[in-house]
Amino acid sequence: MATTERQQQEQENPLLEGLRLKRTPEPCVLVIFGASGDLTRRKLLPALYSLAFRRLLPEQFAVLGVARTESSDDEFREQMKEAVQKHGRDEFRDEVWESLAEGMRYIAIDFADEAGEDRVSRCLAKLDEERGTRGNRVYYFAVPPSAFETLVQEIAERRGREGWSRLIVEKPFGHDLASARHLNGVLTEHFTENEVFRIDHYLGKETVQNMLALRFANGIFEPIWNRQFIDHVEITVAESIGIEGRAAFYEEQGAIRDIFQNHLLQLVALTAMEPPIDFTAESVRNEKVKVLRSMHTPGPKHVVRGQYGRGFVEGIEVPGYREEEGVDAESTTETFVAAKLFVDNWRWADTPFYVRAGKRLARRETTIAIQFQRAPHPPFDELASDGLRPNVLLVHIQPNEGVALEIGAKVPGQGMAIRSVHMDFLYGGAFRTGLPEAYERLILDAMLGDATLFTRTDEVEEQWALVDAIVAAWSRDRPTFPNYAAGTWGPSAADDLLSRDGRAWRRH
Amino acid sequence: MAIDLDDWTGEDTTVVEIERRLSRLRTPSSLDEGPDLRTSVLTHIAWVPPEWEKAALDTLDGLAERHPSRVILLLPDADARDDALDAQVSLRCFPAGHGRHVCSELIELRLHGTRAVAPASIVAPLLIADLPVFLRWRGVPPFGDDGFEGLIDLVDRLVVDSAEWADLDAGYRALGDIVDRVAVSDIAWGRGLPWRLRLADMWPGIAHARALSVRGPDADARLLAGWLRSRLATGIELEHERAELLEAVSADGEQVQPPPGEPPSPSDLLSDELDRFGRDRIYEAALAAA
Repeated sequence: MATTERQQQEQENPLLEGLRLKRTPEPCVLVIFGASGDLTRRKLLPALYSLAFRRLLPEQFAVLGVARTESSDDEFREQMKEAVQKHGRDEFRDEVWESLAEGMRYIAIDFADEAGEDRVSRCLAKLDEERGTRGNRVYYFAVPPSAFETLVQEIAERRGREGWSRLIVEKPFGHDLASARHLNGVLTEHFTENEVFRIDHYLGKETVQNMLALRFANGIFEPIWNRQFIDHVEITVAESIGIEGRAAFYEEQGAIRDIFQNHLLQLVALTAMEPPIDFTAESVRNEKVKVLRSMHTPGPKHVVRGQYGRGFVEGIEVPGYREEEGVDAESTTETFVAAKLFVDNWRWADTPFYVRAGKRLARRETTIAIQFQRAPHPPFDELASDGLRPNVLLVHIQPNEGVALEIGAKVPGQGMAIRSVHMDFLYGGAFRTGLPEAYERLILDAMLGDATLFTRTDEVEEQWALVDAIVAAWSRDRPTFPNYAAGTWGPSAADDLLSRDGRAWRRH
Repeated sequence: MAIDLDDWTGEDTTVVEIERRLSRLRTPSSLDEGPDLRTSVLTHIAWVPPEWEKAALDTLDGLAERHPSRVILLLPDADARDDALDAQVSLRCFPAGHGRHVCSELIELRLHGTRAVAPASIVAPLLIADLPVFLRWRGVPPFGDDGFEGLIDLVDRLVVDSAEWADLDAGYRALGDIVDRVAVSDIAWGRGLPWRLRLADMWPGIAHARALSVRGPDADARLLAGWLRSRLATGIELEHERAELLEAVSADGEQVQPPPGEPPSPSDLLSDELDRFGRDRIYEAALAAA
């Protein structure tokens, strides 16, 4: 068995044994490219504050914000303070904020500007001296893909001899297989795979990780987690919001690149993967890649795309996609995608995975529903078991994070009537510490060098290969859009996808 | 904020009646915002003699909803003239989002006269099946006493704070004798964790330390010294200056940098212990060498 880094340290230092150490990273600077953007304000700084609040950041730590917008250190700190107060999940405490803010700097540069990058290098060297960050760097790329290549090269050219460097790369990671391979090529020319952290924030969600705990920490599920006992799997990633002013981005991406390629396929992989031998990055990712490789390309009849038209969401009339500002009036970009997928391996052969993702659906909900086979021969008369549905294990990723098991139970009273009822485990009910935001976990993991919850090169490429094959079929015809009203559950063709098999999407 | 619901008080009552009242609490509550969830991850028993009552209640309040559990507060009054069991049963509910509440049960039992003699027989029917049972014993446990021993046989973990004890030598010896029967936590040990981390950071310089100087409570100082002795397998002289809180530590004259931030509250410390399940061998070795 491999000796872990922790065991090695303990062998050298007997005082470490048994200490309930929180995972605290080594001293480092977090460099955020795109520091004036929405992601930094809404997610990254609130996540850093929460880590500081829990004393999970190293004592020698600094944040360097880099963006095009002119701003001073003090102005940047003030903007970030407001962002934390507005978007943070923890109570705002001055002393926590001050501990974070004193190591905060800002530089305005054009990303393609060599002189600007030199200023970044000088500032980092100064931070090393002032803050004791030892040349360790985490570079966060919260920038458009167009800026990515130049930045990677400039960072590589200025890489110092001391300390380590890690790159956190936001999605989208390419827009097809060829571009993803190109980006991977750019990265691997200068950095090793274990220095690159491709973020899919879904993997940072507690409830997504709980899928692994549910499957591999409970003896009751794994024996029945296969084609013999499971009738089918349904995965829904539904948003009730529209494109929120991101027309240019969404016109390029569509639902298949925005959600299906990454979040949805990750959920399929976590649901279908074999037990890893341990919880190291390589073991977990090896198993996920096997699932992605086992998936065959769905035929045209097994994929449905849609685009929302005008409709009502939460009682408010909302415009159709083509009426959104910045969207082409003839746009054929899909805002909904559903597919029937198969994982062709021993465990899952012939078990359909019905997946769907879309915008402006009836409600915000991400769930994985494992529907088991019906009881073979219930000994009750037909009327008694009218209200009985097959058992479903429902994993709520968001909202209402938790797990529910749908089982048949006797209705109290005379005679024998059976109804389906839910046994609920509400995540926040048993663990009252508050669920950390995905970005807290992922930033901390990157600082610690733990890539388990990040996507590996081959994973990304397998995902894109599947998406490319689906999109290639789409290019051969012109869809009739819009084909679903905002506030509904997508086009009727998505229902047909299941009804042809004698099934239906779960009722919500 | 917690909402206390469905209080029931019974004087000179029975365990059967308490169980009946508990079942009644499981029916839908009067909160109109949404369904309540009675989620429990453990049973938490606290033995609280009168002089510790306020501190114990403050700590419980500070725990709030962190460990959804059934809390059984045992308030002994062995000198009472009459033998009686008084009970108060309530449901404490905390918002869980989406209009739901998470509720925990709080059972306060006043054990008058001889009813304080065999508390295990009162508590046993009230435990939640299959969940871990923690016993927080306030003050010095009466090691060897049948009442205490009966409780020890019932629980998975005993939590004490040896800083509450006057005679540490006798207490540590007795505690060391029961670690094979029940997992033990000492809050004085938990309080020293940030300092142990600091001392561990002094490796390898600290490997041959001969003297430890501590300004803080007796128990905290002795456990720190016991830990260093057992981990380094060497004799360490303890120089101790008494203080309310752990304020300063030095090894062979070298000052240890104080841990950052405020020390954890009594509720935080207890909360940490309620998250632990197995034996703590490092603590047991430190206890033996303290």
